[in-house]
Parts: sequence; structure tokens; C-alpha cells
Amino acid sequence: MALGQEVAVGMADIKVGKESQILTTVLGSCVGLCLYSPSHKVGGLLHLMMPSAGMNMANPDLKKAKYADTGVADLVRMIKASFGVQSSDLVAKMFGGAKVLQGVERNIGAENIEAVKALLRANAIPVKASCVGGERGYRIKFNLETGRVICQIFGNQPEEF
Amino acid sequence: MDESQQVQRALQLIANLSIDKASQVLSKSIKVGAKIELENVYVADISKATEAIMVSDEGDVVGAYVDLVGDMPFKFLFYVAAEDSLTLTDLMLRKELGTTKKFDIYVTSTVQELGNILASAVTNVFASDFQIKMRPSPPKVVHDYASTVFGEYIMEAAADLNEILMIESQFRVVRMNIKCRMFLLPTGDTQKTLASIVAAA
Repeated sequence: MALGQEVAVGMADIKVGKESQILTTVLGSCVGLCLYSPSHKVGGLLHLMMPSAGMNMANPDLKKAKYADTGVADLVRMIKASFGVQSSDLVAKMFGGAKVLQGVERNIGAENIEAVKALLRANAIPVKASCVGGERGYRIKFNLETGRVICQIFGNQPEEF
Repeated sequence: MDESQQVQRALQLIANLSIDKASQVLSKSIKVGAKIELENVYVADISKATEAIMVSDEGDVVGAYVDLVGDMPFKFLFYVAAEDSLTLTDLMLRKELGTTKKFDIYVTSTVQELGNILASAVTNVFASDFQIKMRPSPPKVVHDYASTVFGEYIMEAAADLNEILMIESQFRVVRMNIKCRMFLLPTGDTQKTLASIVAAA
């Protein structure tokens, strides 16, 4: 859904775009992965919920953007298909992975962070910046003109990455 | 009418009665009328539902999460704009309006208590009108972006499903123009249990 040049990215979703656009999302335990090609000024944002599709991998209705292991590959594929950019041209910035709900045993946010880091390593995509963890939500705005991301952790001032 | 339509109709009935009861207890708790502005039962795509909350830009909110556990588990969420939670605190504590100026332990306790009262009202409807035994878990209160609060609420259900069945309502505290939102989300085998109750009826 577009808001002028801003495009909101919901949970378990991927949006790709080019220079005139700003991709925006709000995160809790989910991780927002921004991939960007500085030379082509194109990129995409993945809003993933869980580290691994696991048993759901065989599900024909699998929503790839929900999981890190299927979502990262799908984001790279979509950028390549839309703009002809290879993964070697991409740099990554990642945000989110908080533990918003206290008293819940599983720290899904931390699992998401580790899964994305491992996948980026495996795909040889360098992580240029990250702001992850904590107990508060994140609002991010990914500018596809510059590759810069404005990240505001709830209750804090916005920071640029 | 097929089974899924019957389940949908049964959920609509549960929603109507629960929301009606919840608005009554909210009015009683804060001694100000609460008008139902929206009651809706729908199936939502998780990406579109969360995107809609982001675009509506409700800012920061205070929410109470309650698990309704028992014969037919649901997840319950009540939230209100952070600014309005201060007014609700004054109303609940019978203080002069404007007394509570910052988010503190009293505001947390108020939202927690309202979550508990509303969730209990819903479980009472299940017990009295449908003979379904349920009890609310202690509410967890979170103050954060509306999208974060809503996203964490649907996380468990969305882990297994791409579309979720949702009961949504919205109350307006009339004199103060405060908007409160309440959601009920069937979890686990709730829909199957409901289908078997409908089939047996």
C-alpha cells in the first residue's frame, strides 16, 4: 500500500523498489532485513516472523516471507528478477528482533537475528549496519535513493544507519 | 447453510454478545458510557492486516494481552492510545480528569485491570450463554507502537496460518472521545470445537 512515495511492508511480506521509494515497517520480535544495491539504487525489505519454515517447507501455501530461511532467498530472487541485480552487488542492514512480551520463554526475536546473520554469511552479503534486540518495537524507513535507514526504537530518538 | 457458514454465524453471535457485555462492564468500570462503534468478524491476511495498522498510524498505545484458556481457547487484546490511557486511569481511580500526566505504574495497572475486566466479561458470556468453560490468564501490559502491539498479538496464530479469523470491536468513551479497540482471536482447535458444538446443536 503506497503512502505517496512511502510503501508499508506488513508482517510476512516483501516489497522491492527503486530510488524514488521509501519502504517502511514496524517491528517487534520480527526482523526487518533491508538489502540494497548502491550502484543500481534498488533494494527490498523483508519483514520476517520466524527463523525457519521447518515442517512447513513442503506446504504448497507456504508464505516464504514469513521465515528467514525462505524469505532471505526470496528477497534476493525478487531483487534479481525485478532489476537484474546479483546478490554480490547487495549490502544488508537489519533491524528488530526484540523481546516485547516478557514472561514468554522462547526468545523468537533472538532466534530470528541469528538465523538472518547466518543466511547473510552463507550468501556472502555483507552486513553494513544493524540495530537489533532489546524489549521495544522498531519503526524503520528505508530510503531507496540513498540506502540509508532511519530507525526509531520506541521511546527513543530516530537514528540513521 | 454449510458447516463453515454455521461456524461463522456462531462466531458472529459470540462476538455480538461478548462485545455487548464488554461495553457494559467498561461503562460501569469507568462510570462513563461506552458506545460500540464497530463489531466485525472477518478473515484477514496477516500481511494486509498488519500493513493496515501501520498505514492507519495509530501512534503509541497501551495494550493488555490475555489468553482465554479452557474449552475453546482465544487470545484477547485490548488497547487504547497512550495519551487516552491517562484519562482512563483518572476515570478508573475516580480522580479529577488531567491528574495523571505521565505513563506510570497506575496507568499500567489500570490497563491491566481493564483487560482483566473485559476478558472476564467475555468468558462469562461463553459460560452463561454457551456452557463453554474458560478463564482468563493474568494480563500482560505492553506500551509500544500500535503495530508492534498488534503484531505480537497475532504472532502465535500467524505462525501456522496465512489468514486469521478475527473478532474486532471498537468502543468510544462518549464524553471523552476515547477510542478503545478489542480483539478476539480463536487459537488451536477452537474453530473445530465450535464446529462440533454447532453440528451437535
